[in-house]
Amino acid sequence: MTRGDHAIVALVVALALVVVPVTIGASVRSPAEAVLTGPAGSNSVPLDVPATYAVEGRGGVVTVRVADGRAWIAHAECPDGLCVRFGAAAPGRPVVCAPNGVAVSVQAGERGALDARTR
Amino acid sequence: MRSMPARADTTSLVQTALLLAVASVIGYVEAVMWPPLPVPGLKLGLANIAVIIALVSLGPARAAAVSFGRVLVVALASGTVGGPVFAMSLAGAAASLAVMVALRRFGPLFSVVGWAVAGSAVHCLAQLGVSAVFVGSTAPLALAPLSLGLSLPSGLVIGCTARLLISRIPRPVLSAAGR
Repeated sequence: MTRGDHAIVALVVALALVVVPVTIGASVRSPAEAVLTGPAGSNSVPLDVPATYAVEGRGGVVTVRVADGRAWIAHAECPDGLCVRFGAAAPGRPVVCAPNGVAVSVQAGERGALDARTR
Repeated sequence: MRSMPARADTTSLVQTALLLAVASVIGYVEAVMWPPLPVPGLKLGLANIAVIIALVSLGPARAAAVSFGRVLVVALASGTVGGPVFAMSLAGAAASLAVMVALRRFGPLFSVVGWAVAGSAVHCLAQLGVSAVFVGSTAPLALAPLSLGLSLPSGLVIGCTARLLISRIPRPVLSAAGR
């Protein structure tokens, strides 16, 4: 590898490290609600209420499950089913079903905040 | 009697077709059989080895033919033409090729390993960008650290493999085809 190659590797590592603190900073906080984004818009749902949501995607319905303070895509009509295998969303690490244009992201709550919400 | 340029053109055309075929088969096998990684559109990208070899031996135009041709053939074979996955693949291929062609202009400062690492990283970021457009949210961009982290070993593997293969190609073949 040349010096230029080393510089590129260093640049990629630095770029990743610059972005990582943002997601780590978010992940140490307790998640409060999940945001379900689809072609029709976004909708916030509480993570403390177990439920199943059907989000209409571009290619079919994406089923999102919320339970135990976590949210994940349980079923999706997409070619590879990657989003289903991804597991639960975490702050700074959304679950995305790109073919359907659906994303499940978890918004962080306040660090050390009480486990309650007001509307 | 055939002239020399015509013969060289035929040689490069045949080599382009061969590399496109290899890239398409690898790309399709990877799309169908390779377990997907937890980032939209992210795969090991072994088909890019053929693109790099084309870039070294045949130049940017032929490499573009191999890269975009491969995206189209794989999309046709897997039934994703015109869909979001196709758009993501196309964007990734275009961004990756653009960066590798740009680095190629610097001559010996960067080797094919550097091209592959940069191409892999830009490929992932471009796919995340298109994914964000399709979702209509910046949520997919939060996967950038994971995506960049996975693109590094992927790029190194692709670059080292391409370098090894290029070193095995007889020099007359490389020079005849246009480098």
